[in-house]
Amino acid sequence: MKEVVEGSHAVSEAVRLARVQVMSAYPITPQTHIVEALSEYCADGRMAARFICVESEHSAMAAVIGAASGGVRTFTATSSHGLALMHELLHWASAARLPIVMAEVNRALGPGWNIWMDQTDSLAQRDTGWIQLYCEDGQEVLDTTLLAFRLAESASLPVMVVLDAFFLSHTYEPVDIPDQASVDRFLPAFQPRIQLDTQDPFALSQMAPPGCYMEMRHDIEAGMRRIPEHYTAAEEAFASVFGRRYGMLEAYRCEDADIILAMAGTAVSTSRQVVDDLRERGEKVGVLKLRMFRPFPAALLASLAGDARKIAVLDRNFCFGVGGIFAQEIRAALYLMDSRPPVYSYIAGLGGRDVTPETIEEIYVRTKQSERPAPESVWIGLDPAACPVCRTD
Amino acid sequence: MRISRSNVSTEINKTGSWRFVRPGYDEKTAPCSNACPVGQDIARIEMLMGQGMFPAAWETILRENPFPAVCGRVCFHPCERVCNRGEMDSAVGIHHLERFVGDLAIERAYALPHPFYGDEAETDRRATGGKTVAIGGAGPAGLAAAYFLARLGHTCDIYEADSEPGGVLRWGIPWYRLPEDVLKAEISRIVDMGVKIYCQKPITRDFMARAREQYDAVFLGCGYGRSLPLWIPGEEKVLNGLAYLHDIRGGDNTCTGGRAAVIGGGNTAIDVARSLTRLGVEPILVYRRRRQDMPAFDHEVEMALAEGVQLMPLVAPVRIDGGDGGMVLTLQRMRTTRMETAGGRCRVEPDGDRTETLMVDQVYSAIGAEPGENWLFPPEHQPGQLRMSHCILWEHPDARLPVVFGGDLTTPVKSVTDAVASGKQAAMALDTRFRHGGKAIPERLGACRVGDGTALSMEIYLSGRRKTRNPAIVPFSALNTDYFAPAERQAPPVLSPETRCGSFEEVEGAYGRDAAVQEASRCFNCGICNDCDNCRLFCPEVAIYIDGTRCINLDYCKGCGICVVECPRNAMTLEEEAS
Repeated sequence: MKEVVEGSHAVSEAVRLARVQVMSAYPITPQTHIVEALSEYCADGRMAARFICVESEHSAMAAVIGAASGGVRTFTATSSHGLALMHELLHWASAARLPIVMAEVNRALGPGWNIWMDQTDSLAQRDTGWIQLYCEDGQEVLDTTLLAFRLAESASLPVMVVLDAFFLSHTYEPVDIPDQASVDRFLPAFQPRIQLDTQDPFALSQMAPPGCYMEMRHDIEAGMRRIPEHYTAAEEAFASVFGRRYGMLEAYRCEDADIILAMAGTAVSTSRQVVDDLRERGEKVGVLKLRMFRPFPAALLASLAGDARKIAVLDRNFCFGVGGIFAQEIRAALYLMDSRPPVYSYIAGLGGRDVTPETIEEIYVRTKQSERPAPESVWIGLDPAACPVCRTD
Repeated sequence: MRISRSNVSTEINKTGSWRFVRPGYDEKTAPCSNACPVGQDIARIEMLMGQGMFPAAWETILRENPFPAVCGRVCFHPCERVCNRGEMDSAVGIHHLERFVGDLAIERAYALPHPFYGDEAETDRRATGGKTVAIGGAGPAGLAAAYFLARLGHTCDIYEADSEPGGVLRWGIPWYRLPEDVLKAEISRIVDMGVKIYCQKPITRDFMARAREQYDAVFLGCGYGRSLPLWIPGEEKVLNGLAYLHDIRGGDNTCTGGRAAVIGGGNTAIDVARSLTRLGVEPILVYRRRRQDMPAFDHEVEMALAEGVQLMPLVAPVRIDGGDGGMVLTLQRMRTTRMETAGGRCRVEPDGDRTETLMVDQVYSAIGAEPGENWLFPPEHQPGQLRMSHCILWEHPDARLPVVFGGDLTTPVKSVTDAVASGKQAAMALDTRFRHGGKAIPERLGACRVGDGTALSMEIYLSGRRKTRNPAIVPFSALNTDYFAPAERQAPPVLSPETRCGSFEEVEGAYGRDAAVQEASRCFNCGICNDCDNCRLFCPEVAIYIDGTRCINLDYCKGCGICVVECPRNAMTLEEEAS
C-alpha cells in the first residue's frame, strides 16, 4: 500500500518487514529518525527484536557483530562521524563474513561542523570490504534495504545502503510499503553459515598467521567478485514478487549519447530532468546512475557508457590531493577497456549545497566545450565571497 | 569461505605472562579514622549503616569506643573536618550517625557478641583470667580503661570521688548537650561487664600505699576538677564555673535573673553561659582574645550566640568591686600582636592603659582547670616512666606497682574522646606490661596505630580483621568520584534558639532511620571494600573470581590496572612486579 513517508522511515519499514532480530545504534543527525522508529517498533511489540542501546557507533557495530556471530539477522544505521568512528569494526564485520545491513545517510564531516549532504563519509570506507548501494528516492531506499538482506546473506558480506542527508532522509514521498507476506516470500528466515553455540563453544576471529591470512583475504575478494551474480539473482526474485528492479547501474537515455553524465544519489533525479530538457533542444546526452559502488561494476560500466564521446562525473565528495572519488573509480575501470572515453571530473554540492538543474547544465556545457578533461577536478559554483568572516589569510 | 575459528578456549592464552604490574586488594585507612582520637573504623561503620546493618555498625564502634551515644553528642568530631566527601560537597554527618546508632542500641538493648573481636585469643583470655586493676575516677578515661581492660580479661574496680559515675560527662556537660539517661545507659553497659564502681570513694595517697595488697596496677584518670584562679583583686567574689555546672547537674537550677559575666573562652565558659541563659540570666562572655581564637568548639560558640549570649572580645579582667547589690568588673582593653601561640591563636597585649567597666550581678570564672590534688599529676623527670601520646606509665617506686596517668592529666587535647583514647591506650599498655613486660609496650602499641596519627585500635591489638589494613591514608585524589553523585548532607532537627533558651531540653535532635541510611550512603567508604564488585565486572580477562573472598587469577591478570582504576574507593593498589 502506498503511504507518504520520510526517506528515513522507508528504511525503518523495510527493516521491520525484514524481521530483523537484533539492532544496535547510536543517534546521529540525519540518521536518527531511522532508529528512532525502530526503537519504537521494538518497544511496542511491532518487531520481535532486541534494540541494544550503546554509548557509541563503535560499540553499535561491535554489538551487531556479536549478534550476527550468534546467527541472527542484524541491522544498524549511522552517518558521517558515526561511520568514521565505526571504521575499525567495518573491517571486523566484513572479514568475519557477517551479513550485517547498515543504512548510511551521507553527511559531511567536520570541521566546520556540517550536518548536510556529502558523500565523502561513505566513500572513505570503500576499502573496508562492505558492499555499497546508493539510492535515488524513497521507494528505492525501501526496496534496496530489503534487497540488501538477501544479498548480504547470500554472499556472507555486509551491505551499506546509502542515502542522501535531508534530500532523501527527511523528504516525504509516496512509497509502496509491501505487506509482510510478500516480503516473507522474497526474504525467508536467515539461515546462518556461522553461528556461535554455547553448547559447542568455539571462538571466532582468532589469530590468522602469515600462512593463511592471504588466502582468507583472497576468499573475501572471491566473494566480492560473485556479488554481480548474487545481486542479479536477488533482483530477479525481488522483481518477481514486487515488479521493480534497479540494476547495479542504470543508463538513462544513454544509447546514442555523446556525453554521459554520471553520478549517484538524488542528483540523478535532477539530471534526468536536465537530460530531458537538453534532449528537447537536440543535445545528445544521457545519465548514468551509479548505484553499486562496491564491488565496482566495471564491465557493466564499460558496456553502458563505453561508446559515449565523453563522460562527465558529478562528485558530491572529494579526495584531497586527487579529486572526485567516483571519477577516479570510473577512470580506473575504463583503463583496461578497448573503448575508453575521456572522463571529466566535476565537484559540486558539497556540505549540503544544492545541485540545481543549472549546475548540471553548466557541467554539460563545460564538458561539451572542452576538448580534453582538465588535469584536476573542476569545482562548480565556488563563491569567492563566501564566509568572509571565516577567512584568516 | 575461510574464517578464523578456534575450538580451544582462550584459556590457553595465559595473559598473565604479559604482566609487569600487579593489582591487589589493599584496604587503606580513611582520613576520618586517622583523625578520630580513638581511631574508629568509620568507613566500615558507615558502610554497614548505609546497608541498614545497624547492630553490626554499632559493634564496630564498640570495638574502639564504649560511648557511641555520648561521643556522637559531645565529641568535636575532627573526623568530619578531614572527610574526603567535603572536597566534593560536604562532609558526611559522622557524629549524627554515631549518635543515631548509639541511641538505637540503647533503645533496642543491643548486646555485645562474644567473642567480640572475632578472635580466639579473647576467649582464651577470659578462660585464663587476668589481673586486677584499680581505677581512680569514673570519668570517660577511667570508664574506658575499665571497659577495655575488662575486654582483655582483667578485673577492674573504679573509685569515684563524686556521688555518681561519669565525671565531666555527668557533672560538667549540661543536659541540653548530653541527657542523663543516655550517659547512664552507656555506663551501665560497662558495669554489666563486671566492672565495679565505688562512688564517694576517691583514691587517696593512703590507698596508693596499700594498693599493691589488692591490685596489680592503678590507672589514675581523676580529671581536672579544680578551676584555675584569676589572680586579681576581688577574686573572692567570683563564682566557679565548673562548680556551677556541677550544681546544675546536681539539680540546683534556681532562676536567679540579672546579668552575669563569664570569664573565659573555652567550652566550660560556653557551657556556663548557655546554662545561664536557660535560667533567665543574661550572660556576657568576657574573653581576652578574638572570637576566632576561642578554644571552644566553633559550633558551640555559634549556638551560644544564637541563644543571645553576648561576647566581649579583647578584654581581660583586672579587678572586681562591689557586692551583692551589683558588681563592677574592670576590664583592660587588649590588642592583637603579630605573634601567635603554639596553637595558632593570636597573642594579645594590653592596649596601653585603656580600661572599661562592666556592671553585672554575678561573675563566673571558667578560664581553665587543673587536677584536684597535686600528687595526681605524674612527676616529671622520674625514672621508670613511659610517656605515650595519651598517658604516662610509671613503675611507681613507692607503691611498687605500675601506675598509669590518663585522661585530662596527660592527653594532648582535653576532650572526652581523647580521654577515651587514653583509657584505651592505658588498657593496651597494662595488658602488654602484664603479658610481655614493660619493654614490649612501644613496639606492641606502635603496631596498633591507625594511619599515621596517635589513635590506637583495639581490634588490631587483638589481631582482628583490621590488622591487615594498610596505614596509608586515602587522599581525595585516589578516589574514583565518577561513582559518587552529589547529595545534600542530612540535617537533624534542632530546637529553635527561642525554645532552647527556656529549658535544658536536648538542643540537637537525631536522624530518623531513613535519614541515617541516606547520610551513611554518602560516605565514600574510603579505602575499604564494600563488595561493589566493579573490579570483577570490569576485568577484561575475567581474571577476578569469588571464592569466599575476591581473588585474582595471576595466570590471566595482565596487569592492565582497570580494576584499580574502577575501584571507587581506593581499596586496591597496583604495584610493580618484583623482577
